Amino acid sequence: MDNQPTAPRTALSIRGLSKTYKGGLEALRDVNIEVNEGEFLVILGPSGAGKSTLMRCLNRLVEPTAGAIFHQGREITSPKQNLRDLRRQFGMVFQQFNLVKRVSVLTNVLTGRLAYRSAWRSLFYSFPQADKRIAVECLARVNMEHKAFQRADTLSGGEQQRVAIARALAQQPAVILADEPVASLDPKIARQVLNYLKQISRELGITVLCNLHQVEYTREFAERVVGMSRGTVVFEGVSSQLTDEVLHRIYYRDPGDADREDAE
Amino acid sequence: MAAPNVSAVASGMPGADRILRELQSRKTWRVHHLLLAAAAIAFLTWCADAVDLRPREVIYAIPVIGEYFARMWPPKWQFADNLWQPAAETIYIAVWGNVIATLIGLPLGVLAASNVTPSGVVRNGAKAILNLFRSISELIWAIFFVSAVGLGPFPGALALGMNYGGILGRLYAEAIENVDRGPIEAMQATGAGRLQVILFAIFPQALPQFVTYNLYWFEVGVRSATVLGMVGAGGIGFELVTAIRLFEWREVGVVLLLILGMVTVIDFASTYLRSKIY
Repeated sequence: MDNQPTAPRTALSIRGLSKTYKGGLEALRDVNIEVNEGEFLVILGPSGAGKSTLMRCLNRLVEPTAGAIFHQGREITSPKQNLRDLRRQFGMVFQQFNLVKRVSVLTNVLTGRLAYRSAWRSLFYSFPQADKRIAVECLARVNMEHKAFQRADTLSGGEQQRVAIARALAQQPAVILADEPVASLDPKIARQVLNYLKQISRELGITVLCNLHQVEYTREFAERVVGMSRGTVVFEGVSSQLTDEVLHRIYYRDPGDADREDAE
Repeated sequence: MAAPNVSAVASGMPGADRILRELQSRKTWRVHHLLLAAAAIAFLTWCADAVDLRPREVIYAIPVIGEYFARMWPPKWQFADNLWQPAAETIYIAVWGNVIATLIGLPLGVLAASNVTPSGVVRNGAKAILNLFRSISELIWAIFFVSAVGLGPFPGALALGMNYGGILGRLYAEAIENVDRGPIEAMQATGAGRLQVILFAIFPQALPQFVTYNLYWFEVGVRSATVLGMVGAGGIGFELVTAIRLFEWREVGVVLLLILGMVTVIDFASTYLRSKIY
């Protein structure tokens, strides 16, 4: 089906990534993924598959134990990488929205600009006019500009998630990491939110990585799918290739296999 | 379809008997409770001995106290004219004591909060300073500051600031530790620096708590400021002590009534303001 004239450029290259947490939990084991520039990639898997850890390795909220990640050819897992510069390029959207509830919608979106501004200026809670313009434009992109002055806790879940998307957009990121963005929303609102994410990806050329655990949404929205189970990649392909056999591999790994691992 | 028979459904559960047996065996903890109660009574008795509790003498004390109050009656109302200014000064001391306490408590509270300050050394250092400030009562601080900066309301405000700074700092730290982690993570993910995370993710969430604590300690501060005058640190306490020393009981009565009035009004105002914060 895909007949693009040129081969897509690689945006992210994840190589041999592993993460073992302090308590000994092995969240990721030798994960290798290539992400194309501007694509909408869904990472599908059950809870505990390591999807969230993978995302947090990309913006280094979590430090990987082994392996490397390259963004546009530069190694972002290198100790020399400046975290502020790195995180600025990765917008993040969360399952619980994570807005600051007691402040206005607009202020929440403006926090997406913080990494561009000095702490000194932030001390006065002031933002330049240019940032305010960006924030309002980002709100307009998710059709939330009419609620700019409302407190975030007066919004419904779907509206809060749209504001959270606007906050990520305000960073003017190259990549958006959406970690189970619709897990706490009802199906109608969930589709609306996923539509906004997809639209942003298409219109602005932003690469979107989206963690999901629901197969229906994945079939509907994904351009490409990476299936994860127990910290490893078990499938890579397009959504039409999500056969029962593949889903079984993602959600119910061979029980003999599971027994062996549990016994370890 | 008819609803299933509940008892029929429940009787089929093989593990139920085991769980019920365990529930039975868990009742032995009642013995622990009896032991704890016995220990508590023993401890209280021991303390009573140490403080030389003499319950019978309390009965004899009542008429003596009553006599003091009787001497205050009728209050010498014209004495109130001497009190307006010191009463106002008491409020000013409480206000500025609160401001100084906030200036001391906020930075130290941030440094003492585990979700903001990862370094254990810095955190424990901040806690140690707060403990020091808190453990020295405002009256003792007032004695220090009177000798350092002279008599008047200024040492009073400094004294309240130090003691309440230690108290507020600890309360602020707890409020900061209880904020929702989500927005903090979201702010870190944008690339915001540590100070920016504190300003934009933590302070807005903790603010209602901060204001509540400040209002409450302002109330306490007004009460406290009424005794600071005893050591020469300004306010209405000086008038109170002078009147007591001169055995002017009817003047003492006026001072006490005025303090009661002030504290009551501030109590109401502060309760009202706290109900408005959400």
